[in-house]
Amino acid sequence: MLDIKNIYKNFGDLKVLKGVSTHVEKGEVISLIGVSGSGKSTLLRCMNLLETPTFGEVWMEGKLLTPVDPYLHFDVIRASKTYARLTAEGLTDEEAIEKIKKNDLLHEKHGAEGKEYVRLMKQIYAENHLDANLARQKMGMVFQQFNLFNNKTVLGNITLAPVKIGIARMKAAKRAGKPVTETKESIQAAAEKKAMELLKRIGLEDKAGSYPSSLSGGQKQRIAIIRALAMDPDVMLFDEPTSALDPEMVGEVLDLIKELAKSGMTMVVVTHEMGFAREVSDRVLFVDEGYIKEEGSPEEIFKNPKDAHLKDFLSKVL
Amino acid sequence: MGSTFFSNIIKLISRYGHVFLLEGVVYTLLLSLIAVAGGSVLGSLFALAKRSKFIPLRAVVSAIVEIVRGTPMLLQLYAGVFIFPQIVPALKELPDIVSVIIVLIINSGAYVSEVIRSGIQAVDIGQTEAARSLGLSARTTMMSVVLPQAVKNILPALGNEFITVIKETSLASTFYVGELMTSYLKVKGNTFLTLETLTIVGVLYFVLTFTLSKLLQAAERKMKHA
Ligand SMILES: Nc1ncnc2c1ncn2[C@@H]1O[C@H](COP(=O)(O)OP(=O)(O)OP(=O)(O)O)[C@@H](O)[C@H]1O
Ligand SMILES: [Mg+2]
Repeated sequence: MLDIKNIYKNFGDLKVLKGVSTHVEKGEVISLIGVSGSGKSTLLRCMNLLETPTFGEVWMEGKLLTPVDPYLHFDVIRASKTYARLTAEGLTDEEAIEKIKKNDLLHEKHGAEGKEYVRLMKQIYAENHLDANLARQKMGMVFQQFNLFNNKTVLGNITLAPVKIGIARMKAAKRAGKPVTETKESIQAAAEKKAMELLKRIGLEDKAGSYPSSLSGGQKQRIAIIRALAMDPDVMLFDEPTSALDPEMVGEVLDLIKELAKSGMTMVVVTHEMGFAREVSDRVLFVDEGYIKEEGSPEEIFKNPKDAHLKDFLSKVL
Repeated sequence: MGSTFFSNIIKLISRYGHVFLLEGVVYTLLLSLIAVAGGSVLGSLFALAKRSKFIPLRAVVSAIVEIVRGTPMLLQLYAGVFIFPQIVPALKELPDIVSVIIVLIINSGAYVSEVIRSGIQAVDIGQTEAARSLGLSARTTMMSVVLPQAVKNILPALGNEFITVIKETSLASTFYVGELMTSYLKVKGNTFLTLETLTIVGVLYFVLTFTLSKLLQAAERKMKHA
């Protein structure tokens, strides 16, 4: 589902992620744990490109979300004249690629070869790249601070993205000359129907017309969750969804997330709730000093931690 | 002096009332309205340009805004009416009032662009991130989520800008363009009653700005509840 390859993220001089790789399987529930400031949120936000990684790749179902880099595609390198020249000089495939990478020999300024490079890059781009906006439609995200739209009612919050994106898709289909049966009104009606079903599922259908300012934290967060679900995401990303809640409201939000996990939703959850991580996760990742220092089943991580920092961390939070 | 002062004022009002009200107040309001309306359009364009990915455009617009905000209005009027026509001869054809209006619009545009920028910045970034995380484009996010909320911050500030401009248009009297301060110059020139004329003009300015700021407060209260 999601493939994170060698992600680096710097904020100015601050190196937050220093080469993180992991894979998220369909239906898997992954928890990210670690001390404050270790880069859990940054890693999560790199997954849906809210932060652009400084280096590395994010793949979603075979499509590249991060910018295309020619040096990551051996086919491009092999197609260049420099490669032909170097191999003719007796270098092996591996040595030639290594030398081209090291000396930045693939570049637009290299005449005819540059043109070839541009053509190949375009091709790779067309075949492999997925626009971040499109990718995000399939990746829901839930934030610590809920981030409901204050100028919209609960119903408006939930239907905004499905309606806007539905209409954009309809227009694109029309432009492409495809037969279109939907109208703006039918898209709106379908989005509202679905929103009401989702609201019913969390027992808040009577809040459809309310504004966020009149809701409790727990209600806001549950609505933020179904707002993301309204886009039918393939994966849900949670960034400490219960950290800003009063203690008595943590339960209702965790219950909804657990229910989602049980229904087979693929999820990545940054959390400080160790009990929750233990209960719902298939895999727990311990983020520390810019790396995934240790990963494993909840059993392994909580019962038998190996990394010294993880042991220390667990002794403080458990 | 007391009784002559008041009787002079009454005399001035009955004789020159139309100069103060029909010319002075109307022109002042008109100039201010044109300046703020034009300034709002220009300011929106400035604000857009400042968010552009094209760095030279951003730099030029930022420079204009900073220069306008960092120099006195009177100096800008001098530049518009006297200095630029020396450099660009075509501008000599423009009547002074047009040059004054252009300067007022650019000046107002610079301030309005800052009003818009800070109005947008005041909308919590989390909502933008939430909209983007749902797959909405930057443009849709701006139009559907950020701007509707920013407008609530921007409109009151625009009202204040209008009030400021009403006072600043008095500087245009340097070029005798017919607004309220010009009517002071005219009437004083005819009657030599400086103190009385100034009092009338002062009261009119105050009534204008005071009424507007009260109206603005009422509108703001209403908007908070909406
Ligand atoms: N936009 C940013 N600009 C500069 N520095 C940032 C930015 N975002 C995060 N950082 C820094 O990167 C580091 C990692 O931040 P991050 O939010 O990923 O940590 P975290 O593990 O989620 O912490 P917490 O548990 O407190 O949420 C911190 O030192 C933080 O100050
Ligand atoms: Mg965090």
